[in-house]
Amino acid sequence: MTAREPMAMQSGLALCKHCGLLSKLMPAKETSYCPRCGHGLAFRRKNVIQRTWALIIAAAICYIPANVLPVMTSITLIGAEEDTIIDGVILLFMTGSWHLALIVLIASVMIPMAKLFALAYLLITVQRRSIKSNRERVKLYRLVEFIGRWSMLDVFVIAFVVALVQIKPLMAAEPRAGVVFFAAVVVLTIFAAQSFDPRLIWDSTDTMENRNE
Amino acid sequence: MSKNDDILNIPEATTVPHKRARFSVIWIIPIIAALVAIGIAVQRFLNEGPTITITFKVAEGIEAGKTFVKYKDVNIGHVTGVNLSEDYSHVVVTAKIAKNAKNLLVKDTKFWIMQPRVSLSGVSGMSTLLSGNYIGLEAGKSQEKQRIFNGLDTPPIITNTEPGRQFLLKADNLGSLGFGSPIYFRQLNVGQVIGYDLAKNGKSVDIKIFVNAPYDKYVTTGTKFWQASGIDIALGANGIVIHTQSLASVLAGGIAFETPLYSQEAVPAAENTAFSLFDNREAATAKHELQADPYVLVFNESVRGLSVGAPVTYLGLEVGEVKQVSFHYDAATETVKPKVLIVYYPERFLSQFDNRQIIDPGHDKPLRERHGGLQHLIDKGLRAQLHLGNIVTGQLFIAFDYFPHAPKVKVDWKNSPPQLPVMPSGLAEFHLRITNILNKIEKIPFDDIGRDTKKAIVTLDQTLKDAQKLLGRIDTEVVPEVKTAVENLKRAVAAAERVLVNADKTLIGPDAPANQELREALQEITRAARALKGFAEYMDSHPEALIRGKGQEKGQ
Repeated sequence: MTAREPMAMQSGLALCKHCGLLSKLMPAKETSYCPRCGHGLAFRRKNVIQRTWALIIAAAICYIPANVLPVMTSITLIGAEEDTIIDGVILLFMTGSWHLALIVLIASVMIPMAKLFALAYLLITVQRRSIKSNRERVKLYRLVEFIGRWSMLDVFVIAFVVALVQIKPLMAAEPRAGVVFFAAVVVLTIFAAQSFDPRLIWDSTDTMENRNE
Repeated sequence: MSKNDDILNIPEATTVPHKRARFSVIWIIPIIAALVAIGIAVQRFLNEGPTITITFKVAEGIEAGKTFVKYKDVNIGHVTGVNLSEDYSHVVVTAKIAKNAKNLLVKDTKFWIMQPRVSLSGVSGMSTLLSGNYIGLEAGKSQEKQRIFNGLDTPPIITNTEPGRQFLLKADNLGSLGFGSPIYFRQLNVGQVIGYDLAKNGKSVDIKIFVNAPYDKYVTTGTKFWQASGIDIALGANGIVIHTQSLASVLAGGIAFETPLYSQEAVPAAENTAFSLFDNREAATAKHELQADPYVLVFNESVRGLSVGAPVTYLGLEVGEVKQVSFHYDAATETVKPKVLIVYYPERFLSQFDNRQIIDPGHDKPLRERHGGLQHLIDKGLRAQLHLGNIVTGQLFIAFDYFPHAPKVKVDWKNSPPQLPVMPSGLAEFHLRITNILNKIEKIPFDDIGRDTKKAIVTLDQTLKDAQKLLGRIDTEVVPEVKTAVENLKRAVAAAERVLVNADKTLIGPDAPANQELREALQEITRAARALKGFAEYMDSHPEALIRGKGQEKGQ
């Protein structure tokens, strides 16, 4: 991490993400466009932090009803039962499938929460212009981005169950509001992870060094 | 410098002066999320129904979180907690009720634990076998809100909302009736017993029944209720009569009702009308005739087989019944005779006519004032007669029929009840004859005859054997001799013939002395026989004369 490593931004250059053309960007308060394909150009996308925060907060808000509201109603001969995610985990654990319970607990409860915390942590550190453990933070970011899609597992499971288990009147399953919120949490965190720009982590190092210089 | 050249060669981005927004549009997303979440929270909070507590003796099959509270089989809440009361005497169940059902929770709302119940009158709550027990409730009519309830031990049989009407029956005893005992109308189950209690004075039982709509409209002011429990067997002049409703009622008891034909003008009964509960159909439909005229019949013969309740018929149709059978001292002949008190139900007879005024003009006047018509009929020959109703049981009934040649009778209408003329039935004679025949048949010594016959057969058998033997001997020994004997006989006959010809002249001629003597001897014998007969007759009546002599007896 040497300060002399040239960076496009410092040279007033920006790469068009769409056509790959490198153009000179005036650090003026103007919106720039790629001269070749006309796509918007910026050193860093505007309001990245704000945008990510918004998505994270939205995800955090949805996280509460996703866990409080039932995600599925299973209708059997003996009556209907509404289950939240935690209910399902407890049921699995009680019936002896503790490993399944663990998978659901990790994939559906812990990972979304961990993602939210991780993104929040990244944002806060970027905003505070932290220069410590940049590599670890990038690793964390990559992990969050990679793991994001797996959280849709629950939604898929419910979608399958609802579609397949329709042997009325013996058994039937219906989705409940919780699953919508859960899906929203997952989607919002994926978007949040996408909108976060890992280059921001390194920007602070540069500015710091610039300041130091 | 190539690096710089490159940079210089890099084209410049086109620029447009930008209008920078203070806030990114992206904030709409969390705002929408927040609004939705808050909306759901608010909705939940607003929909939050009341929490109630119900106390039960036992919480059979009640589990927190799994047991529902159902009204008309619709979930309106669920049990949130099952706890013991502080003194451990009962169970306190807390339940959360949906907000839209909170108006059901009033002072007289009843709760009970619904579980499968099997009784003689039916099976209920079968669905709970699979779904588990639930708490049922019946909405009260009160306006007063309540949150603490006492649970019932058994579910109420009829809910308030069921269409139909309640009636009250007064019975001497409960019989085999119980909660849920069926009510039958034309053997159709139309309701049930919903409660019973001893009357306040302890002298009868009040039975509450519920008749489902639309059958409740058949309960009129003239309706009669009776116990349909078990099997009702009656032995009367009509033979054996068996009444049952359904097999279930035979086992579990039940009540049947019917509106007798003669009271069809009656209007539907109001709710909670009190009725009497009769023991059986006969009592229910026969009693409470609108009008009952008593009459007395005095018979000159035995009334054995005439029981109270035996029918009184007029031209073969039942118009009354025997009320009492007793003795009557007839001062005129100084004899005791059977007296029969009968009642005549004019309604039964008159209700069949549209123009009753013509048939019986004074039917609505007191008995004393409307004997004119009856006297007229009696003048025409109307008489009461005992009839045999059933030849096996010997049950009698009283029939009114016309005997145009019967002697005129003037009924004394001042008597109360008036005595009507009767006609000898010939039953006694009939009875006597039958008895005689039976007695005679009885006297035949079938046993002895049988025994003797057997003996005779044995003897006959022996005789036949002997005869066979004899015949054998006759064949061998006697026949030759017989031949000679026959020849001798022939000769003898020829001789006899000659003799007889001579004898004819001496003996058979009218003046033959032998003939005369024979006649005299015969006369003598006749006289002797007569004397002997006289003696024998005397001896028959006075056997002691053998010892004491005839003269002594006369002296006494």
